[in-house]
Amino acid sequence: MKNGTLIIFKKELARFFGDRRLLFTTVIMPGLLIFVMYSIMGNAMTSMLDTSDEACKIAAVNMPSAIESIFPKENYEFTEIDGSELDDAKEKLSEKEYDLCMVFPENFEKSLTDYQPGQNADSVPNVEIYYYSASISSSNAYSSARDILDGVEQQISNVFNINFAESAEDMAKYDVATEAEASGTFLAMILPMLLMMLMYSSCAALAPESIAGEKERGTIATLLITPVPRNQIILGKILALSVMALLGGLSSFLGTFLSMPALLGDVDDAVGGLSGEYYMFTDYVWLIVIILVTVMFFVTIISVLSTLAKSVKEASTLVMPLMIVVMVASFASMYASNAKEEIYWYFIPIYNSIQSMIGIFSFSIAPVNMAAAIMSNIAFTLIGLVVLTKLFGSEKVMFSK
Amino acid sequence: MKEILKVSEISKTFRLSSKQQKIEKTDRKTKTAVEKLSFSAYEGEIFGLLGPNGAGKTTTLRMLATLIRPDEGDAVIDGVSVMKQPEEVRKKIGFLTSELKLEDFFTPDFLFDFFSDLHKVPDEIRLKRKDELFEKFGIDKFAQVKVANLSTGMKQKVSLVVSLVHDPDIIIFDEPTNGLDVITAKVVTDFLLELKSRGKTVIVSTHIFSLIEKICDRVGIIIDGKMAVCDDLKKITEEKSLEDVFFDLYFERKGDEI
Ligand SMILES: Nc1ncnc2c1ncn2[C@@H]1O[C@H](COP(=O)(O)OP(=O)(O)OP(=O)(O)O)[C@@H](O)[C@H]1O
Ligand SMILES: [Mg+2]
Repeated sequence: MKNGTLIIFKKELARFFGDRRLLFTTVIMPGLLIFVMYSIMGNAMTSMLDTSDEACKIAAVNMPSAIESIFPKENYEFTEIDGSELDDAKEKLSEKEYDLCMVFPENFEKSLTDYQPGQNADSVPNVEIYYYSASISSSNAYSSARDILDGVEQQISNVFNINFAESAEDMAKYDVATEAEASGTFLAMILPMLLMMLMYSSCAALAPESIAGEKERGTIATLLITPVPRNQIILGKILALSVMALLGGLSSFLGTFLSMPALLGDVDDAVGGLSGEYYMFTDYVWLIVIILVTVMFFVTIISVLSTLAKSVKEASTLVMPLMIVVMVASFASMYASNAKEEIYWYFIPIYNSIQSMIGIFSFSIAPVNMAAAIMSNIAFTLIGLVVLTKLFGSEKVMFSK
Repeated sequence: MKEILKVSEISKTFRLSSKQQKIEKTDRKTKTAVEKLSFSAYEGEIFGLLGPNGAGKTTTLRMLATLIRPDEGDAVIDGVSVMKQPEEVRKKIGFLTSELKLEDFFTPDFLFDFFSDLHKVPDEIRLKRKDELFEKFGIDKFAQVKVANLSTGMKQKVSLVVSLVHDPDIIIFDEPTNGLDVITAKVVTDFLLELKSRGKTVIVSTHIFSLIEKICDRVGIIIDGKMAVCDDLKKITEEKSLEDVFFDLYFERKGDEI
């Protein structure tokens, strides 16, 4: 005869996969939403950064031709104006007719050639650049023009170089991290946080409905008068919820992963191609196991909270504080470039999952610690199941109105 | 006649939350819903628990169905104790109340199979029983319609059928005709009589005198969680109508409070 756990498991999945709306809101929508949102955000950011192909228009007073020639012609368009026209030109900044107004002191070139190292700061010439911070193109023009002028200044008073390089490829030689390590550090920073939060919210979207919802609607009592042992009912539900939560999490993850290129753009180049190609099979196995036990743990603990709640609404409120714990723990670990080494950290649920993932992504796996994390998650899940069985047996909890 | 159900001095006291205290208009922290209640039911009869609102009928039936545990006392159903072997009791009984809901999302057909599986009913028997019961209650036309889209009466019928997937020998039914129109109510009461004719034992609770008079062999009148009288319906109604018996008992016990 069929086992109660399996019957309940199949029913829960039938419910889930049969309900197109539920499937859409918990699996398809999160991933899609994240993908669309991040892509839009990414594109918006990129278009903000490389402002238009239009050259920026600069009104300049006393512009020395030597300096003007340093600014690339295709990007900067200078209009020579007289000192008396300056106020007029400043007005035009807000009308976006000009992006910048630059005012050079008279005889600027001469004061440069007369420059003595150690000269007093207030006796050196001052270049004034007026900009309009409410306009993105003006702000961008301001910072790029500043950079160019800073470069000019440094060349004049050059005492020493730092990481001098002719080209970007040349530049890369100073970073002694391998491409894999650079990529790993970056992934170790972002992914554990992302994965934890996606897993948690995926569990939190499903378990309250399945447990508090059944309680609220009075359908759980119908199950409880069948001869199926309580623990089989619970196990069936937990397993089904884990499968669904994994699907939801996977969807969010795919959404995030696929929108990475749009979102990160340049960062991608900076770390030498963000990809998982440096990870080995065993890394993936570790990751999958960690994700599995973490989802089981999340589902169990959220189920406990949902069982204690009288309604779906109350359950959703109860799961919020834990979401904050997960977020804080994830953020706190974001800037640690390597996983903790001491084993005791790996007995603390949630934190151990984060640390384990950091270990995996940053190529610093300590198998003993990983094993400790997995065992700890399983142990806490089992404790949760025992608690759940107790709660399901308690009429105060199950039939409280 | 075989005594198939024996209830011995069961009691149930609930702790009241402050909200419930307000609703009940009392300062007491507890409410004794059932107090040292005893009665027996015999194989093949319909036993009725009659009582006004709040008398403790539902609480009693829930204890028999092992949804809640008596604080003291015990009930033995077909030789199995509700205290010691609740899971065995659940195999023997079918429990039906309007509080037990079916998931809106599923169809009667799916639910019948699901609960049959939970009761470990063999497949051939399940199919035969499903055809039979669905036809009897007119569910066959709605077998593939989600519960959410069924009428109240049809939902009630599906609940009834689903609670009987394992063909239990003892059927416990809380307020069988509540919320049903006269036609559906008749279908249900006729079915209870049919169950009896097939040798099943039926325990019903109600506050409707006519239902008791129509179908019950024996009746227990509960007032304030206590059994006021419990006997053959014929014996109780020998001298006066059931209604008069009830009101006499009621004023005898509660007269000073009204
Ligand atoms: N879980 C509970 N917590 C607190 N009090 C309860 C609980 N269940 C029942 N009661 C109280 O116990 C008393 C008996 O309730 P019960 O539902 O058994 O009455 P009943 O005879 O079925 O009444 P009705 O005809 O209204 O269904 C009532 O006063 C009720 O308020
Ligand atoms: Mg009742």
